[in-house]
Amino acid sequence: MRGIPTVLITVSPDVSRQMRPPRSLYPKGFRIGNSLGRPLMRELQTRVLRDALSLIKEPPRPGEIIERDYSDY
Amino acid sequence: MSELSRKCVPFTPYDRELSRATVALVTAAGVHQKDQPPFNIADELGDLTFRIISPEAKVEDLMVTHHHYDHSDADQDVNVVFPIDPIRVLASEGFISGVAREHIGFMGYTMQLKRMYEETAPQIAEEIDKRSRADLVVLTGG
Repeated sequence: MRGIPTVLITVSPDVSRQMRPPRSLYPKGFRIGNSLGRPLMRELQTRVLRDALSLIKEPPRPGEIIERDYSDY
Repeated sequence: MSELSRKCVPFTPYDRELSRATVALVTAAGVHQKDQPPFNIADELGDLTFRIISPEAKVEDLMVTHHHYDHSDADQDVNVVFPIDPIRVLASEGFISGVAREHIGFMGYTMQLKRMYEETAPQIAEEIDKRSRADLVVLTGG
């Protein structure tokens, strides 16, 4: 079989780290239930998704959770 | 049937440009279409099933059935856990090539971890591989 490239957006980094995801973004301080941000903040939500997808092209750090700050959250 | 890597980080490289990638969403946040059966939250063991979500689905077509996180924000705007509008924005901008033929929603809470890992997860991988036809998958939780 071929593998499927994935990227995880997590708001529970300590839990996610145990599963050693191949690529993972933690938007720092985002609460559970707010993986992409708050309701109707479409620009922020889109930025988080864009950043997560961008991890696909960055040097691989399998098993690491990459943290990013989003001050407008 | 697809197999999941057990010992190593299941890292699959992606060598093409993002602008050539078709992307699917897979969420454990309990998202499904309103016209689909809800997840069974009455069973304390959890629900091992998943729902195939149309890429054409609109926010108002979707809902969350999950009793192990506060989804009041997702009830207001499901994009906070399932970015179905942002993924369309990125496709329209050309940041990605397009949206896959199927997204997947399941309820991440389960006491049947072994069955989730050995049955549900490979079924979802199979669905993505054979029918969604996604090059990349974005995973979200609650």
